[in-house]
Amino acid sequence: MITAGKYEGQHPLHPKARQILLDAFDQGWADPTQISSQGRQAQALLAQARESIAKSLALKVDEIELWGEPELISPIAIWGAPGFGAAPFIYGATERSEIIGMRAKSKQSFEISVDIDGATDLDLLTQTLQPNSIVAIQSANIETGITQDLKTIAKAVVAQNAHLHIDATASGARFAKPSYWSTLHFDARSWNGPAGVGVFALKNGARWSNPLPHTKPTRSPNSFSIPLALAAASALENWIIDEAANSARLKSLIERIRNHVKQTIADVDIAGNAQSTLPNIISLSFLNVSSEQLVAALEVEGFSVASGSACVASSLEPSHVLKAMGLLTHGNMRINLNHDVQDGEITKLLALLPGIISKLREN
Amino acid sequence: MSELLDCRGKRCPLPIIELSKKIKESELGQQVLLLSDDPATAADLSAWARITGNEFTIVSADNFLITKSR
Repeated sequence: MITAGKYEGQHPLHPKARQILLDAFDQGWADPTQISSQGRQAQALLAQARESIAKSLALKVDEIELWGEPELISPIAIWGAPGFGAAPFIYGATERSEIIGMRAKSKQSFEISVDIDGATDLDLLTQTLQPNSIVAIQSANIETGITQDLKTIAKAVVAQNAHLHIDATASGARFAKPSYWSTLHFDARSWNGPAGVGVFALKNGARWSNPLPHTKPTRSPNSFSIPLALAAASALENWIIDEAANSARLKSLIERIRNHVKQTIADVDIAGNAQSTLPNIISLSFLNVSSEQLVAALEVEGFSVASGSACVASSLEPSHVLKAMGLLTHGNMRINLNHDVQDGEITKLLALLPGIISKLREN
Repeated sequence: MSELLDCRGKRCPLPIIELSKKIKESELGQQVLLLSDDPATAADLSAWARITGNEFTIVSADNFLITKSR
């Protein structure tokens, strides 16, 4: 299926995860901090889910915390980094707006520009880094699928012994951790899990303190839903089965879209290149086309696509991601492929797209 | 002498679409003064210039001088 959501997982839950979710409402409702038998059962189920999630993400179980409000993880991870506020805060120009918004809480912030392919300016990053810097970089961008060279970035950050926060919400389990990192952020929606479950990882030995009000030593509010956490663990287990084969298939479909659009439609900006994007996302911007009309025309044909253009957003502002890369911000559509996408859906889309674009350009 | 294209009050992507039409009808070297207060215009104008091979300068926040260069 081609989905309009930002996340691959804004898509029906995996059937097994759905069943677990329903069962868990019967079994995992109790407060795991209480010593009742129901509490112990909830605690055991939760411990299993945490172990499963940690294993699937190749993390240690004591490095992860589950959060019920995933969008808060990156801001809290950055806020709790050593010296945040006074220390230099460095972020990429195409980070999510929740992360860019943290500059308001920092006395010195530095935005690192990206090139037209969306790659972070590594020279500028290296020059800007100081020993107490807090760096926030995404593993991949949710609008364009463009991935960052985390290996090189981590090397520059470790040379200064600075804090490295990685936003892995777009890549999810498709993320190859660099050898150095401090905090990580995942969202269960990226692996077809439910909304409302996020994973905050703090590398063992990394310095971080919980910036939220608390009286006992704790890294998270722990007020997430246990049934959702169990469903998230199950969805992740199922998502990673055959992941290599699935990703290879999606990558070839995305390449088909990229090549067909290049060959059949003039004046189009395709974000990033085949080597540095996620296998499931492609962002296309067509000159002299209204996104609103494009999304509507595709909807009529049965395709749901998202758009980063201002005319389909609630604000008048165009996508800061496309703008930072110097790409067209209007006429934008984002195709997000799920594991279950059929080759025939892409064939149909590609057969229709040139005609739709030329008709919209005539108007 | 530059021609005036007043797109104030028009939302993205209308200013760029109207500019494209104007430039298509213009002679090589013709200049167009585009007035647009849409927040997407400045960003889209540089992408437009890159794609179409035309040139532009920013005169002020909502004034852009475009030259048909090819």
